[in-house]
Amino acid sequence: MTVLTLHARYEADADRLHPVPWQRMIWVTWRQHRAAFISVMAVLAAAAAFEVAEGLKIRHDYAALAACRPLSSASCQALNSVFNSSDWHVANTVDIVMQVVPLLIGMFAGASVLARDLETGTFRFAWTQGIGRERWTIAKLVFFGVPVAVAAAALGELNAWFMAPILPQENMTVMTATVFDTRGIAFPAWTLTAFMIGAFLGMLLRRILPAMAVTMGVYAALAVVTWLFLRPNYPIGGFWPAQLLEGAWLVVLSVALTAATVWLARRRAA
Amino acid sequence: MTALILPPGAGADTAERSSPVPWHGMLWVTWRQQRATLVSVPVVLAAAAVLLVIAGVRVRADYGNLILRGDFNNGDWAFAQAMDFLMQVAPVLIGIFAGAPVLARELESGTFRYAWTQGLRRERWVIAKLALLGAFSAVLAGVFGEVFAWFFQPFISAGDTSVTNGLVFDTRPVVFGAWALAAFMIAACSGMLLRRTLPAMAVTLGVYLGLSLLTGSFLRGHYPVSGFWPAQSFECAWLVVLSAALIVVTARLARRRAA
Repeated sequence: MTVLTLHARYEADADRLHPVPWQRMIWVTWRQHRAAFISVMAVLAAAAAFEVAEGLKIRHDYAALAACRPLSSASCQALNSVFNSSDWHVANTVDIVMQVVPLLIGMFAGASVLARDLETGTFRFAWTQGIGRERWTIAKLVFFGVPVAVAAAALGELNAWFMAPILPQENMTVMTATVFDTRGIAFPAWTLTAFMIGAFLGMLLRRILPAMAVTMGVYAALAVVTWLFLRPNYPIGGFWPAQLLEGAWLVVLSVALTAATVWLARRRAA
Repeated sequence: MTALILPPGAGADTAERSSPVPWHGMLWVTWRQQRATLVSVPVVLAAAAVLLVIAGVRVRADYGNLILRGDFNNGDWAFAQAMDFLMQVAPVLIGIFAGAPVLARELESGTFRYAWTQGLRRERWVIAKLALLGAFSAVLAGVFGEVFAWFFQPFISAGDTSVTNGLVFDTRPVVFGAWALAAFMIAACSGMLLRRTLPAMAVTLGVYLGLSLLTGSFLRGHYPVSGFWPAQSFECAWLVVLSAALIVVTARLARRRAA
């Protein structure tokens, strides 16, 4: 009798606790991953601050060069050298760094978000606390991945502003491969995809370092295939349609990777 | 009481004095501990080298054939630029994956307590490991730089770019190897300082990026020497000096760290 009563009470408790509200899971996700989350945000903020400072300098140099007369004078040549050599070198480096920002987020944040629990064995505790491993996996991926993608979108917008005076001078357009994917919808979509690739490989390999290395290879391969084969064959033209299409298939890929990660978590013996 | 009076490492000192330097043993242990990296990094580089050789043969065929010259100027050149871009980040990737875990993993997992109390003075351990693995990374990178230089040669012949261009200059074997060495040491030193692999990897990326940006946009323009080879030698020299200094700093940090 007592057992049955207890059981009923347990059921009632369970009803009250199930499902555990998502906001409580946000709190735990934050507690577990705050170091990585704050680091990623701090690095993005530092990159943004650098782009603002350097972007203003480039605009200043460009205005001085455009106003300089006569163009053949030594002072104009000096200004020209500043804009076309040192400013361009910095802008080119910024562009290179922007190419790898999504990948770095995928490697450092994505690969460790689930693999750390698996590597240290704490997943045995985390997955058996009533919330359930599927919901935990989804919560961690969404609560970490989505804010990072939003921050990346802001950085992409800033980068578009930063690169604006450089593009015409260096014969680049927004459709240039290295410019196209560092702005608009594509940049946050690539960031989200990189994060999900990292998380999926972390779940698959259960170790952070190998997951990071493989994430790098998979992401690089996907980026190269997109540059060389997919993007030139998009069925639509123009900057924004192409951005929308690329954003859409990357989001679909990210959702598929999340599903695959949850499936792996379900199969794994705790 | 005696234990309290003895400074850390004193017992190890005595043990070390009584035994010859077991370089052979250190080599073996380093191999056992780092074999995953020592195998996977060369395998990845070898795969990339094979890709570059295949692409290089094709590039030469396109370059020598007037009908295919269009491919050389478009597809091949785009591929070469992508490869050049990867070459910019290759040293720091070797550095973070090979260098950051070398000491950080032992500190993170606590195994340093065992490793550093086995009769070998810990500075010696640190110096031996870093020198061996760093030299290995540098030589590997140098050889890979040679393969890349061969692949890239037709584009320099065609006048698309030149060896004095900053983005080509630092992919040349001598300087490329030196950058790989410096990246490895920055990573190892960060690992010793932070005692955790992942943060050490992230910090290494930042430090390396800052250093390479500073070099490309400022330092190189102020070298006291001119010409390709003098500039290569000069850059290689200061990177090697920097790496040696980092080994010393790392060994010092290891000595100060309580086991």
